[in-house]
Amino acid sequence: MSLHLRLRPFILPLLLLALWQIAAMAYAQTSRMPVPGDVLTMGWTLVSSGELPLALLQSLKRVLLGFACAASLALVVGTAMAAFEPIGRNLDPIVESFRPIAPIALLPLAILWFGTGTPAAAFIVGYAAFFPMLVNTIHGVRSIDQGVIRAARTLGVSRFTILRTVVLPGALPNLFVGARLALGVAWTSIIAAELAVGAKAGGGGSGGIGQMMFVFYAYSVDLSGIIVCMIGVGLVALIIDRGVRALEFWMLPWKR
Amino acid sequence: METLEKMTPKICLGGITKEYIAPRTGQRTLAIADVSLDVFQGEFLCIVGPSGCGKSTILNMIAGLARPSRGELVMDGKPIRDPGAERGVVFQDYALFPWKTVRENIEFGPRYRTAGPLSASERDRIVRHYIDLVSLTGAENKYPHELSGGMRQRCAFARALANEPEVLLMDEPFAALDAQTRLILQEELLRIWGEELPRAARKTVVFITHGIDEAVYLADRVAVMSNNPGHIKTIMTVDLPRPRRESLRATAEFQKLADAIWQLIRHEAYEATIDRH
Repeated sequence: MSLHLRLRPFILPLLLLALWQIAAMAYAQTSRMPVPGDVLTMGWTLVSSGELPLALLQSLKRVLLGFACAASLALVVGTAMAAFEPIGRNLDPIVESFRPIAPIALLPLAILWFGTGTPAAAFIVGYAAFFPMLVNTIHGVRSIDQGVIRAARTLGVSRFTILRTVVLPGALPNLFVGARLALGVAWTSIIAAELAVGAKAGGGGSGGIGQMMFVFYAYSVDLSGIIVCMIGVGLVALIIDRGVRALEFWMLPWKR
Repeated sequence: METLEKMTPKICLGGITKEYIAPRTGQRTLAIADVSLDVFQGEFLCIVGPSGCGKSTILNMIAGLARPSRGELVMDGKPIRDPGAERGVVFQDYALFPWKTVRENIEFGPRYRTAGPLSASERDRIVRHYIDLVSLTGAENKYPHELSGGMRQRCAFARALANEPEVLLMDEPFAALDAQTRLILQEELLRIWGEELPRAARKTVVFITHGIDEAVYLADRVAVMSNNPGHIKTIMTVDLPRPRRESLRATAEFQKLADAIWQLIRHEAYEATIDRH
């Protein structure tokens, strides 16, 4: 690819950035518009001091913990719901009435039960991640071609082995869809959870990127700091998604 | 050909009836009525009949994938209730595992079956043998979606054979293929089945088709089925010499047999093309 073509995707973002810089300089006195230059300086400070990476890492740990618990549970419950009709029929109303409740609405409960640390945050994340994973597991298991299951049965393979060797690999593409959605909402809700718990900063704060944003907002009214945090959040989300996609590419060679 | 009547049947269908009850209306539909059929060791039995006569239902019941409403199914003196490795099935739509390569598909039975799974080295030997036998050499690491229809059918056939069943059940395996591929695979099927082998060393085959020529070309006996409800009209013995070659199709004996079967089902085949509702 020529240099010209390679630069093309950056032209529009750079133009917008320039426009933003100009607008911010023009209205610097009258608005609370953050300036790109300040954001850059702030970003460098936060990265070089290690504060930002540490906060992101803290949040990421919680996301992965909550996601791992939620995904394992959703995999078991979802497979059972899809493979055994009575279980599906009885659990479905319960699932569907809990699913619309916003994860952040569980925050008071989570704080009362688990305090303001990692367990509470992981609980919120897990609750958020559970439903997309569950719905996609059910869909994935249900949409497996019955023909291949019949074929496996005629080869003299037990039902449990069929679950492991036919049903799970067959549902895997949908499980990946579920995982990507679940990680997305998990990452969204960790920020909200930490942001809300962040009010207790100074004594028993939650830590993590959400709290960092709250501190910038409440104690220093530093917009540049908040913008840097937002960029960090976006970058980590992008890396997670690309990671899952790479895993998907590697694990589903037959889908390439 | 030895006289079949003096032998003990390998598979025995006694008075099989299959009735479907519509879940909401409770309306009963009789799909198959009182089918009795003996299948003997090492014979190639074809079942032909018009669409909807219940040919596939009979095959599914022998496979253990469906159960009769009345009547009994017995193989080697034991009732058939569930699928088992001793009865291999080749499906019309191949039913290959899309996430497994040709090699992994063929290896599936020997690897995961409950009764006597093979070690990795034994599997390797057997998979290699069947890949060569069905001429899939070079395509071992391809996925089903990368194969042509004919190659998929070869793979499905090898998958069933590699599990070393005593009985091979084939449900219109060549129906989805183009005419030339079908002719080639018919001849290969007979070669692989082992026309030169003594009857005791051959696999017992039950082959469903709606192609009369196909049935006459392949079979030792042809069971002709009829509609409403599905039942066996007659069983014809195909006394054509083996090994059979393409040229057999042009002979008078072949044409006579095919025509006799056609006369038996032409009226219903004609009716099936007219929608009377």
